[in-house]
Amino acid sequence: MPRPSLRRRVASSSAGKTASSFTRILLVAIAIGAVGLLVIEILVNGAANSILSNDLTPSVPYFALRTLTRMTIAYAFALAFALAYGIATAMNHRASHVLLPLLDIFQSVPVLGVLPVVFLLILGTGASAPEFNQEVASIILIFTAMAWAPTFGVIAGINAIPTDIKEAAHAYGMHGARYLRQIVLPAVFPELVWSSLLAWGGGWYLIPIEEHVSFGPTQHVDLPGIGKYIAVAATRADLGSALFGLIVLVGIIFAIDRLVWKPLGTRAEKYKYETIAAPRTTATRQSAVGVEVRKYEDRLVSPVLSFFKSERSYAARVLELTRWRRIRHITEKLRFPQRISRIPLWGRLLSYAIFIGLVLLGLIVTIMSRSQSIAIGISLLATDVTAFELAALTLLSLSRLLMAYAIALSWTLGAGILIARSQRLSRLLVPIFDIGQSIPATALFPIVVILLVDPFRNSPLLGFTLNLASVLLILTGMQWYLLFNIVGAVNSVPNDLLEATAAYRIRGRRFVREILIPASFPAILIGSIQAWGGGWNALIVSEYIGPNANVPGLGSFLVQATLPSKNQLLAPLEIYASLLVMTATVLVINRLVWRRLLRKADRYKFEA
Amino acid sequence: MSQPSEPILQIKDVAKIYPGEGKSTTVLDHISFDVYKEFLCIVGPSGCGKSTLLRIIDGLDKPTSGQVLFHGQPITSPSPKVGVIFQTFALIPWKTVLGNVQMAISSTPIAKEEQLKIAQKYIQDVGLEGFESSYPKELSGGMKQRVGIARALALQPEVLLMDEPFSSLDALTAENLRREVLDIWRDPAYPTGSVIMVTHNVQEAVEMADRVVVLSARPAKIVDDVKIDLERPRSPRDPVLYDLADRIISKIS
Repeated sequence: MPRPSLRRRVASSSAGKTASSFTRILLVAIAIGAVGLLVIEILVNGAANSILSNDLTPSVPYFALRTLTRMTIAYAFALAFALAYGIATAMNHRASHVLLPLLDIFQSVPVLGVLPVVFLLILGTGASAPEFNQEVASIILIFTAMAWAPTFGVIAGINAIPTDIKEAAHAYGMHGARYLRQIVLPAVFPELVWSSLLAWGGGWYLIPIEEHVSFGPTQHVDLPGIGKYIAVAATRADLGSALFGLIVLVGIIFAIDRLVWKPLGTRAEKYKYETIAAPRTTATRQSAVGVEVRKYEDRLVSPVLSFFKSERSYAARVLELTRWRRIRHITEKLRFPQRISRIPLWGRLLSYAIFIGLVLLGLIVTIMSRSQSIAIGISLLATDVTAFELAALTLLSLSRLLMAYAIALSWTLGAGILIARSQRLSRLLVPIFDIGQSIPATALFPIVVILLVDPFRNSPLLGFTLNLASVLLILTGMQWYLLFNIVGAVNSVPNDLLEATAAYRIRGRRFVREILIPASFPAILIGSIQAWGGGWNALIVSEYIGPNANVPGLGSFLVQATLPSKNQLLAPLEIYASLLVMTATVLVINRLVWRRLLRKADRYKFEA
Repeated sequence: MSQPSEPILQIKDVAKIYPGEGKSTTVLDHISFDVYKEFLCIVGPSGCGKSTLLRIIDGLDKPTSGQVLFHGQPITSPSPKVGVIFQTFALIPWKTVLGNVQMAISSTPIAKEEQLKIAQKYIQDVGLEGFESSYPKELSGGMKQRVGIARALALQPEVLLMDEPFSSLDALTAENLRREVLDIWRDPAYPTGSVIMVTHNVQEAVEMADRVVVLSARPAKIVDDVKIDLERPRSPRDPVLYDLADRIISKIS
């Protein structure tokens, strides 16, 4: 008989149990921490010493503040953009025909691929740029990582306003600014909160990379920040400091998560429109969670206190799952196939034209600013790299992505099913995984490099460890999306269905194969789309580690274009070319694979 | 209906207590009754634990104390001789009508082809011929519940458990299905002897049942056990039914 689902357990879980599970988690965490520290002590003689002797360590609080400020400014811009673009798209039907597909293209561009383009445009390749310009480039970059999800959130929120509410608002003479303030903004609030969570995740991802990076022959971005601390530690092969920086970064992310997003998320649930007469099983389920959420809210009177308390409350974990469900919900809306296919051809063509136009404009600006000829550049590009080579590089990168995806899918499917079916495992692992997913994959790169690449510099095994490191790094960018989507899906199988399968004695392997896996199919798809997005980003930094440590692929091709030794005319062309190839590949895969599968997934959804 | 001396199901001193923070909640307070070859309804106010009781009878939930005997054997897990019909139909969205019905007997040693034939037969019996390859989403509420009924019947159950089977349906559809369920139950071709139906609709209970077990509000206790020896088919307008319903409602409230 399948275990009763999580939500039923929530209703009956007692305080005593959760407290003891908290102690257990704490003990496990301490044990893991102790073992980890021991390993560090053995690996790097005196990790503490290396942290203390690091000249950057005293600046860590200042670095943290600078990073946070950078993120906040970028987020403010992203929020403003999201509201403007989102409201324009949702309120103007004709404009939406172009704005929607354009947004879909924008979000398909791997953000790390945009990095060299932004640097090219803002910093150029001339004299080293002043810090202010570096800061501007950095904020623009973070903005491009943050902007798309909240924009879709706003659109989804406006579209979800029920017709009767709209009609009532108009009947009572609510127009213009009042309608916007009293109807649209509250309706948009929940989606905005959940998508902002995604946005900040995207922003954090960039931090370990963009604060300290060389670009072209003269440019060197060097901004005070926690990402710089990690990056510098990596170049010095200082594992102790790299880990310390990572812990500080994760600490900041976690604190923001608990102090900002969780309370906001709880509040956001209030703004949701209720649909009529939910079936009883769903109703009891929601009320069970609702009670816990309310209890949780009571504790929020003092947010600092709740920060410590919430970790031990089971409701916190349920909220975690709710949150992942919401995020899945948003991604589903982001990729909603029907809406895109309902858009007339002219809109789609125009949006592609605008995108390609923007890329060309960027290219022309870049080249003109150096008064060089595009024609000469293109002939140079043709001699340096052929279309065939680019295709081969794309395939090599794709094979790495595919391998990481296969590993990610198999372990997360197993773990997801185990977590969903065992209360004990769920209590133990979900919080650990939640911490794991909050680590930006890029922050792990230096650690993987120090452990897997540096020791093998002169070994014949280097080729193998490099490929392994690359796949591993891509995996870190992919796996959490799959895991949390699967856990969420398995947990939202309706109770009555679980009871029906139990009543008709469908158990064990058959239960997994016939019920759990099909039930998670839509979530696996959504998770896969997110995972591939994360994978493409990771690819760019995972293939090129150093002049003597790289594997051929689209990612290393892009990074090599930014090296000082590169021909000055060729560099921008290659950067734009690889960005275009990458975006095209992502778009083609989306259309050929995910969008088709999403259409099939409809059948696997439970009725509301 | 004459009752054989041997009861089919015996509910013995069943109690259900949910432990909670600080104080625990008693849902079922030592319930005992026997079920013979009869159509039995359990009625009670909303949230009194009727459905919990039904789940315990099927072995889907465990009582805190007491036990349920099926032909003298304690029930601890769902039995292949018991079919269940759910209020919310509980159909699997990615399986066709045929697949959903076949699911009920898929754990039996019967060969797959034979299973499909059996499923086919019951789909016809509930009047869904031609909809075998439809998916639940394409069906109306009434048709979905017909699938639920076919699924339960495909087991050829000795006992049929129904949890508010008609309360998600519109009044007209519910009335038709009620009649059909009674016809099926009375048809000697079906082996089902006992039906236990949980409902909060007292009128529905007195119209259908041979016997109505009345539960009080939480913690649920049996407050009445009403026998209804009226000929079938019954007229819903029969004044005797109104009197019985009044008697039951006064007990509940």
